[in-house]
Amino acid sequence: MEILIYGAVTSAIYAMLAVGFTLIFGVARVLNLAHGSFYALGAYGTYVGTGILGLPLWQAAVLAIAFVALFGVIVEKVLIRPLRYSQLGVLMITLAVSLVVEQALFLIFGSEYRNVPAFIDTKLSIGGVDVAGQRLLTLLVAVVSIGALYLFIQRTRLGSAILAISQDAEAAKYMGIPSDRIFSLVMAISASLAALAGVLAGPFLSVQPSMHLLPIVKAFAIVIVGGLGSIPGSILAALMLGYAETLVAYLVSTSWTEIVSVLATLLMLVFRPAGFFGKRAAF
Amino acid sequence: MAISARRLRRWCGRVIAGVFFPISFLLPTLAHAEDSKPLRIGVPTSVQLQVGRDTLTAVKMAVEEVNKKGGILGRKVEFVSADETENPETGISAIRKLVADEKVDVLIGGYTSGVTLAQLPHISAAKMIYLGVGAASPSITNKVKTDYDNYKYIFRVGPINAAHQARGLVDYISNFVIGELGYKKIAIVGENAKWVQDLVPVLSKGAKEIGAEIKLTELFDTQTSDFSPLLAKVKTSGAQYMIVMVSHGSSDIFAKQWHDAQVPVPYGGIDVKSMDGDFFSRIGGKSISQVAGNFAVRAPLTKKTVPFFDEFKKRSPNYPVYTAYFAYDAVLLYADAVRRAGSFDTDKIIKELEKTKHEGIAGEITFDENHDVQTGKGKTNLVFAQWQDKGERVVIYPKELRTGNFILPPWMKK
Repeated sequence: MEILIYGAVTSAIYAMLAVGFTLIFGVARVLNLAHGSFYALGAYGTYVGTGILGLPLWQAAVLAIAFVALFGVIVEKVLIRPLRYSQLGVLMITLAVSLVVEQALFLIFGSEYRNVPAFIDTKLSIGGVDVAGQRLLTLLVAVVSIGALYLFIQRTRLGSAILAISQDAEAAKYMGIPSDRIFSLVMAISASLAALAGVLAGPFLSVQPSMHLLPIVKAFAIVIVGGLGSIPGSILAALMLGYAETLVAYLVSTSWTEIVSVLATLLMLVFRPAGFFGKRAAF
Repeated sequence: MAISARRLRRWCGRVIAGVFFPISFLLPTLAHAEDSKPLRIGVPTSVQLQVGRDTLTAVKMAVEEVNKKGGILGRKVEFVSADETENPETGISAIRKLVADEKVDVLIGGYTSGVTLAQLPHISAAKMIYLGVGAASPSITNKVKTDYDNYKYIFRVGPINAAHQARGLVDYISNFVIGELGYKKIAIVGENAKWVQDLVPVLSKGAKEIGAEIKLTELFDTQTSDFSPLLAKVKTSGAQYMIVMVSHGSSDIFAKQWHDAQVPVPYGGIDVKSMDGDFFSRIGGKSISQVAGNFAVRAPLTKKTVPFFDEFKKRSPNYPVYTAYFAYDAVLLYADAVRRAGSFDTDKIIKELEKTKHEGIAGEITFDENHDVQTGKGKTNLVFAQWQDKGERVVIYPKELRTGNFILPPWMKK
């Protein structure tokens, strides 16, 4: 039961990170190494809002997510767009953004851990397992937000445009779909999902300048296992990885959990480079 | 015109006399200028961390105090810092900067053992006295005895080394956790690092000898950010008390997740981040009832302790962490040693430093043959303090220093 609940929470956070990461790749073919920075900025934004500006938590959270979405759009427009036709250029510029964000956080806030308050501070018992309320909230919000994103893509005109571009960018352009505007929109969605993960996980995970590294490693592992560009693949891989890590922590040792994602990536690249749902090899 | 050998010799003699005679008059003046220029203390530390910032605040306090009394042998004292971060490469650059560019006379600082160990050859090459105030690895001072000529410059003013800390922790478990609280079932949890791997066998053996039952021993990666599986294991193991050993890992998240899941097992041990004065406030009070070994807290350990803590608090938003009081002591005991030596000669100062008997903030400071700070009655020891209501730190062990009673986590109170 413990494995079931904790595994679900871990998977939910991973899914929020990986879906955004794979979305921007699937649509704009942008391999965004700065994705972890959006997660970090979401958490730090909430810290600034509550700890420094003294705002109520929900206001700070909304402002932080809006700020990160805007930041994502600016990064896409100013830095990524001119280099979009060079995969290597995009990799380098997004890596640079992530390093700049890390250093900026380091200079402004120092290297200490910061406290982001939790939305729910009580403990809940489910089937005899004690779970912090904030974790369950994270699970719930992740399911709702990813579900909403799925409906948005499947049911709206804008969603259809996103789908069209992801299937064939050239053809979509000829059909009159403004691809640049769609890219900005997708970047905003991707960045806000990562920021939302940061806001929700910040209270029980670490908030410090190099916090962007772990999410990017996990997101990478998940999209490679699930198939780069495939949202259902990412969700499935997030579940697999989340549960695999929790199982290892329970049955083997906590010090072995970090190796799970790296091993999964390695095995997948060797045996099925396209991932479970990928239409073509990731690299 | 040919110059005879005699004329040449005379001519050379005049030149030498003409040039060097006036210089010989200048020499004492130059020497005096050297003596009267300020004595510079170089402070290599992690300025981004509270340990580093507190080191600097404390050095400033001590320097002001020394200058108020007329400096050291007539020389004013000033200090300059360099950021050594937690990275050995940067640590070496910091030493180079202080020695070569800043031309300091003595080094006082340090925090991460790995960084200090990397700096040692450079400090030794510079033949400069180094007073360590932050790193605990026994290897740092081990070389003093085996290679005295090269490493005689290294002293550790604090903290007591990791081996002494292990003994302190075993004493805490036997005398307090088992002896007073009556908890015999213990879980040992620590980060997967060299110092913990060294400590666990010592601790397990010591704990078993005193009748404790080790229910679980688990190490976690320093990058671990989700402790819920680990905490659930501790809960189901039936342990009554959890001993932790964390230095570079995520103490903050550990405490938060322990609190949020309301794990019904109180915990304590060596938790370096929990030594920070602002630990309680920065995690929203979630370390309530946690016990952390420290070297001094605001309690009358010596007659200097409480006044120092209060004076420090006026200059900083927090009470000092351990590097602060050792840095303060280091400046003062160095000044004393120079005064006793009556000169700035490094070897003479080292001889005087070896004889140090200084009343420090955490206890009397004396050095062993490795130039390592000694521990024992009246000296620097591991003091166990508990976080209680409103972030107050209460000493609960050793008994003779106790300032309050042990409390249970709020969710365990009957």
